[in-house]
Order: sequence, then structure tokens, then C-alpha cells
Amino acid sequence: MKKVLLRTTNLSKSFSNGGVLQHVLKNIDLELYEGDFTVIMGASGAGKSTLLYALSGMDTPTLGTIAFGDQVISDLNSDELAVFRRRHCGFVFQQIYLIEGMSLMDNVLSAGLLVQKDRKALLRRAAELFAAVGLSEETQKKFPTQISGGEAQRAGIVRALINSPQILFADEPTGALNSQTGLDVLKLLTEFHEQGQSVVMVTHDMRSACRGNRILYLKDGVILGECKLEPYRHGDPGRQEKLAAFLTEMGW
Amino acid sequence: MEKSILLARSNLQKAKGQAAGIVVLILLAALMLNLWLMLSFDYKKNFDRCHERLQDGHVTIAVDGEPTEMKEFLEPLLRRDARTTAYSVDASMHMVGLFEYNGGEINSEFIFLEKETALSRTVGRVEIVEDSDFTSGIYMPVLYRSEEVAVGRTIEISIGSHPMTFTVCGFFNSPMAGSHNCSMCELILTTDQYEKLKETDYAPEAALCSVRLQDKEQSEDYEVMLKNEVSFQYPNTRMASNSYALVSQSRYISQMICAGIMSATAFFVLLIALVVIVSNIINDIQENIKNLGALKAVGYTGCQLVNALLLQFLGLTLAAAVAGAGLSYLLFPYVNEMMVSQTGIPYEVRFLPAPLLLTIAVLSGAVAVAVRLAARRIHRIEPIVALRQGVATHNFRRNHVPLAENQAPLTLLLALKTTCSGLKQNLTVGITMLVLSLVIVFSGLMKENIITDMTPFLAMIVGETADSCINVNAAAEEALLEKIHADKRVEKAYLYHSAEVRHIGGVCLLATMCDDFSQVNNQGVIIEGRYPCFENEIALAAKYAEEQGLKIGDEITLTADGREAAYLIAGLTQISNNLGKDCLLTRKGYERLGELANTSYYLNLTEDTDIEAFHQEIKESLADEVNMTINILSTIEGSSSVYVSLMTAIVAAVLALSGIVAAFVLYLLVRALLNRKKRDYGILKALGFTTRQLVLQTALSFMPTILASTAIGLVGCSFIINPLTALFLRGIGIVKCTFRLPIGFIALAGIGMAAFAFATVCVLSLKIRRIAPRALLAGE
Repeated sequence: MKKVLLRTTNLSKSFSNGGVLQHVLKNIDLELYEGDFTVIMGASGAGKSTLLYALSGMDTPTLGTIAFGDQVISDLNSDELAVFRRRHCGFVFQQIYLIEGMSLMDNVLSAGLLVQKDRKALLRRAAELFAAVGLSEETQKKFPTQISGGEAQRAGIVRALINSPQILFADEPTGALNSQTGLDVLKLLTEFHEQGQSVVMVTHDMRSACRGNRILYLKDGVILGECKLEPYRHGDPGRQEKLAAFLTEMGW
Repeated sequence: MEKSILLARSNLQKAKGQAAGIVVLILLAALMLNLWLMLSFDYKKNFDRCHERLQDGHVTIAVDGEPTEMKEFLEPLLRRDARTTAYSVDASMHMVGLFEYNGGEINSEFIFLEKETALSRTVGRVEIVEDSDFTSGIYMPVLYRSEEVAVGRTIEISIGSHPMTFTVCGFFNSPMAGSHNCSMCELILTTDQYEKLKETDYAPEAALCSVRLQDKEQSEDYEVMLKNEVSFQYPNTRMASNSYALVSQSRYISQMICAGIMSATAFFVLLIALVVIVSNIINDIQENIKNLGALKAVGYTGCQLVNALLLQFLGLTLAAAVAGAGLSYLLFPYVNEMMVSQTGIPYEVRFLPAPLLLTIAVLSGAVAVAVRLAARRIHRIEPIVALRQGVATHNFRRNHVPLAENQAPLTLLLALKTTCSGLKQNLTVGITMLVLSLVIVFSGLMKENIITDMTPFLAMIVGETADSCINVNAAAEEALLEKIHADKRVEKAYLYHSAEVRHIGGVCLLATMCDDFSQVNNQGVIIEGRYPCFENEIALAAKYAEEQGLKIGDEITLTADGREAAYLIAGLTQISNNLGKDCLLTRKGYERLGELANTSYYLNLTEDTDIEAFHQEIKESLADEVNMTINILSTIEGSSSVYVSLMTAIVAAVLALSGIVAAFVLYLLVRALLNRKKRDYGILKALGFTTRQLVLQTALSFMPTILASTAIGLVGCSFIINPLTALFLRGIGIVKCTFRLPIGFIALAGIGMAAFAFATVCVLSLKIRRIAPRALLAGE
């Protein structure tokens, strides 16, 4: 029996757009489990990113609750949510969002020092992660505008994992990258998942979705269907076919 | 031009907050500038207008003696001198005296005039500014109108040593004799009271002579000529006199100081406004370089873009300058009230186009130059380069404060990173805090040396102070000395007497003489060299010496009573009693020129001595030989309380203004910083930073510059404040200030200033609450 990390009950989110209320998420009941690589798919405007923001505590729902273990995070104020995010979540963004005025190392440490007081241990972990994503010490000293998009996203992954989060949220992590660097990033995410990292990823790319073991399909603010896959293995044609069939069924 | 206007309008709409901040700064600068210009341009002219309206004299002299005889002596003298254009010689009475005012005493050479005479003099008439139905009593100079000295109330005036009580019937205005600062002070009596005073014989009869000259610049020379002639003919006659040159200066000392402070404040505020404008333009160019590149790409020239900025800032400046100048008219009545309480010459606030135009011209000119200089970079923008590369918001020379190598708390480290990367922000904050430091040190100086305890100010301005001053006829000097030496209440008594002498080739100087200057209480009067010890030595006012190119060791020739003598300059002094036209001589030194008809002695009395009772005893024992007794402390209190109020108001206003200016500068800087770092703060919030952490981080990022510039400012200003104050007070003869610095107050104020800045930035940074991580992710 897998441990439930996040549970939503009747999760709804509405936005007022020019005075017209738009219901982006509608009564979503969902459980996310420890150790899963959950992929949220759907067409543009389906509410994928909105669901990700709500689940990660970046945004608050209009109705319903979100619980992280025993803690109802949907009732927290913005500062309490910030503390929740720093302790339990890691983020990989499509636009990467490294701070331009800081070196890659400082970008990582600025997140790490929020939680960890043992600087030596933190530096050790940062060095391990940088090595794991293949960024040299020289590169770590560079500023985000001095490196390629792929290198920047790898630094983004290091920053997301520096505090050993219970869930890694990734919003279209390959969206701004070319094909090869996108593949490299997916490979890294898969490797960290294989080491036990829980991942929730939003994508509309089937190649990216293939990496997950649980695929949720969102349409018009509701989860239309779910597809469970075996853990990712490179060059597994059956896996892709199963996902393709699921997506076809969902109207992809 | 049309395109530039469109761009300027668009720029303004985009940056309303920034525009509001700049408007406030310019408005404050315009307010202070226009007030200063109005005070400088018109206030002193008001004296001239009043002087002309009343056909007042350029020289006034009261000579004791039978008025008709004196008139017969004076008239040929006046007519003979080609410089004379008109004169009036009238009967009066003349005696030193005092009355209570403002909790102290005013003492002066009083000239008593009969009301009809005073109102009908062809030269030097007075004008009644407040009258009543009282038909018997006294009209006082309007300067002394107060709660105690009011129409219908009685006033006791000691005439010589004889008190007399009068009902106040009204008040009058007299430019040349309406204040104790004029060397003589007229008091107007109704006919019955005039006759009554005449019968008492308390005040000798005198001829009051007011002379108008073709060239008022000749007033001092003319005064000396008249006095020499009178002294020659009537060697032991008492006289009181003044000149236009002296009175027009001495009645406007406060106005001069106030105007000086206003001008300094105005230029400081303007400087800060310019720094803010320049900083904003440079930031805007950096942030909008792609837009500027696009505009250039579609055909706008560099000049058009710069003109748009010029229009934008000049439009704001013009509006703010007009509004600020308008606001100064609302404030001017209050400033005027304070000033009139010092000058005693009524001033009617009116619209003055010249100061307004000058205010607008100075502000617009300064802003135009600043904008042009700051916007030079626009000319160098290449459209393609700007569009492709945008702008590098960070230079890669150095990773400031690397987190891996520093052990300080994260918030502090991130704040220091911001500090190190914000040169322009630091520059603006630095200049603002330096200016604020100067204001703090100035306020501390005023508080310590004027508001809380006026002794240092008095020591510098008044020169010598003691408890009592007794003036007796020369014949009674021995008797006085015998009596005071035998009196145990007298701790110290020394000759301290002033008389006028003339510097050959220079002007009239007020010579103060003493038997032994080592006896005087205030040894700080000499600022270079030493007091005169021998009869051929003199200590000369430093300001006058500088103007005349004289230095220690030079020789000058003085004349008085028709005799001349040369003196060696042994020291330089600063005394403002005669606006820096003073000298010190030994008694024997003065006696080379003339004899003393009367002598003044300064006395230090034991602490529990009742000074008034002591004076009364002296008067009783020496009968009519005592010309005047002065309770010096009481006299000083009387004239200084208005100074204290004025200075308190100025310090409070300057401090409040500085606080407002600092708050606005910080508002503009925080706003620019938040705009620049909105994305970074969004990222940090997404990573788990709380609003409190980011607010603290922002506030801390200002603190290194604030603390450093405050510390440098306070220390630096502590060193320069005395020379700077001397510069302000130069007009009244002060060349060297030795005011005490209240180190504790300055340190505390510095801490308070830094705390105020920190709190202000914290409050202004609360806007960070509105930066939502979701907005960043949604690309808002």
C-alpha cells in the first residue's frame, strides 16, 4: 500500500475574467502517492498548471481542500504556504527562473540555506547534485545568462532537489529546450525518480509523459481518466503504445 | 515635437508613482526657493520702501542740550554739506532707560518725542499703526507689541534710574528708531505726558536731528562728520546716533539667517531631486532599452527620445514649481509673522513675479541639464543591438558576496548582494543621507547652543556678558569704584565701555575699552593674536580687518574728538554688536583720542544677589551720577527669547522637511528596486521565502549605505558645521564659530535617522506582499 502524499477533496478553482467567472478546476478528488512519477496531461487550457500550482501550495483553491499528510495546506496563509513549499516541495519551471544576478551555486544555495543550517552538509549535497547533473565546478560559478538553456535547466533541477523535497513539481520542464537537451533533462528526472523521488510533472508532450508511471488526463477542469504504467524502461515499445491508446481514448 | 509630446505622455502614464515622488521633491524645493527669494528680494526692500514713505533720515543724531540752541548750531552745519538733501531738527528728550519685555528687559537710548512733533517731522516722521481713544500715555514701537505691551495696559519705563508709568495708547513704526537695534529707540508721548516728563527732569532735553542724503552710501561718513563737529563744539555733550548703513543691516539679522537656512535647504532638496531624476532616467533606459531600440528602429531620432524625456520632466517641474511657489504664499504669512517679530517693520505679503520666475527658471534649468546629461546614452543606442541584446542587468565581473563562502544569515547575505549590485541606488541613498546628516548636525548645533542653552551663542554674538552694567558720569567713577570694591556681593568689576571712533581711510568703529582685558569673562572674543595690552595696541574685528586687507602687526590710525592716533593691530576679534565693525582698546589707548564723559562698569555679582535691589542701592548712594544700570541677563533674556522661538521653529521645520524628503527618496528607490526585482522576488517566493524575509532583505539592502553615509555624514558635518555656520553669520561679523557639538544628540539622532530609514523602507517594501509566485508562473 503506497503512502498518500497529497490528497485533494472537491478541489475547485475559479477565476474572474472580465467579470465572467471561469471554473478552471471542478471538484477534483485526487490522491498523489509517495514514490510515484505522476504526469498531468491535457490540452492547453485544461487546467494542468492550475492544478499543479494548487497542489504545490503556490496558489489556493476557491473551494475544497488539499491535505499534505495530516496537514490541510489549503487553509494556510501565504507565508505558511511559503514555509510548506520550502520544506516539502521542489520546483522545476518551464522558464527555468534562475536569478540572473546570482551564480548557479548561489541560486542553489539561496534555496538550500532556507532550510538547512549545516552549511558543510549543504555544500556537499550541492556538489553531489551538480556532479549528478553534469555541471562542472567552473560552470557552477557562472551566471545564468552565461550558460546554455540545458545547463540552466539542470541547475534548476539541482536547486529543486537541494532540500531533498518529498515532492518534485515540474511544470513543462522541457518546454523551453531543444530536443536533445529536453531528453537529457527527462533522463535526469527519471534517474532521480528511480532513486525514490516523488515527481509530479505537467506536460503536453507524449515523449515526456512516457517517463511517468501514473498518467492523469485533465479536460475542462476535471480528471477525465488515469493510466497506470510500469516503471520507465528505455526502449519499451509496449509502454508507449499503452499511453498512446489511453490518450486516444481521452480524445488527445 | 508632436511625437515627443506623445512619448512624454506615454512615459508619464507608465510611471505615475515615480512622477508623484519627483513632483513632491520639486514642489518642496520650489517652496523653499521661492520663500528664500521673497525674503531676499523684497524683505529688505520693504525697509527701503518704508524708509522712503516716511521720508526717514539716513543719519539720525540726538544731541543733549537746549533744543533751539542745538538747532541753531546744527542747521548751518547741515546746510553747508552738499550731501544733505533735507533735514529736520526737533525738540526731544534723551535718556538711557529700560522696560520689561518678553520676560526680560529692553534697554536703549530712549528718545522721547511729543506725538504731534513725531507725526509732523519733515524728515524722520513716524506712522501710527495702532491707535486708541486713550488721550494720555505713550506710543511704543510696533516691535514691542505683545501680550504684556498692549493698548490700554500700563508700562513702567525706567528713565535713567527713575521709573515712570504710562498707559499704552498705541504703536508706531519708525524704520530708523523703532528698535533697540537702532542704537536709539524713539518713544512717543502724548502732549501732557511729554510735559510731565519734562517737568521731572529725568530726561535731559535734546535736539533730534534726522538728515536725508543724496547718497545713502555716505551715511556712515556723514554720521562721523556730524559727531565730530558736535564733539568739537560741545566736548562733553551726550549723543546718540545711527546711520542707514547700520540700521538697515542690524534690523535684518534674523531675516538674513532665516533666508540663508532656507536657501541651503532649497538647494539640498533640489540636489536630491536631481539625483533621483538622473537615477530614474538611467534605470528607465536600462529597463526599456528594447523599447527604445524599437522606437529608433521605426524612425525616432535620439533627439526626439531625449526631448520626450525633457518634456516629461520639465512638465512635471513646471507644474510642481508653480504649485510649490503657490504654496509658499500660504506659508509666507507665518514666516512673515516670525520675521516681523524680529524686524519690527510691518510687511504686507504680496505677489512677487521676479522670485516666481527665478524659481521656475532655476528649477527648470537644473532639471533640463540633469535630464540631458542622464539621457546622453540614448543617442548611442543602436536599434539592432538594443533589440537583439536588450540590456545586461548584471555585470559579470564579480559574484558579490558568494553564499558558499560567507557564514552570515541568508537574508543578510542576499541583502548584501543587492547592495553591491546597486551603485546608483547607493549613490542616491548616500547623497540623501549625507544631506540629512548635515541637517541633523545643524539641528544639534542649534539645539545645544541656542535652544537649550543660549550661552555659547551669546558669547559669540553678544561678546561680553556679566550680571550687571552700571554707567556713571566720569566725575563719579572713583566713588562708584570705592563703593563696589567695598561691597561683598561684587565678585569682579571692570571697565567695559564703548565709544565710537573712526578709522582714517575706513569707517566708523565701535571701540570697546577695558583697563585690563584679562579680566573680561568671555576670553573667546579674540580669535587670533591677543587682547591689546598697551596704549598703542588695538584688537580689530576680523571681518573688518579682512575687508580692509589688514592683519596682525599692521598699523591703523583712528580719530575721535578731533584727535588722531596710530595703533598696532595685536589681535583679531569677532563681536557682532556693530556688525563686525568693532575694535578693542585699552582705556589709556582710547584716552589718546578723547576723554570719557561717562564710564560703564561690568560687574559679576554673587549668585544670591538681588540685582535690581543692588542697582537701587547704587542709584541711591550716587544720586544723579548714575546714568544707567542694566540687569544684563534679564536684558539678554528679553531679546533672546524671540531668537529661541525663531530657531526652534526653523529647526523643527527643517527636520520635518528633511524627513519628508528622505521618505520620498526612499519611496522612489524602493519602488524602482521592487520593479527591477519583481521577477527575482517571485522566484524566491516560489522557492519558499516569506514576505517578511523579503521585506527584511530589501530593508537590509539599504542599510550598509545608509549606515556608512550617515556615519561619514555625521562625522564629516561635525567638522564642517562650525565653518559653515560662520559662513552664514558672516554678515554680522562672525568669521569663526566655536559652537559646542552635542555628540550624544548627534549620535542618537544618527541612530534615529538610520532606524527611521529602515522602518520607512520596511513599510514601503510591504508591497512585496502583492508579488505572488503564481503570477510569475502564469507569466503575469
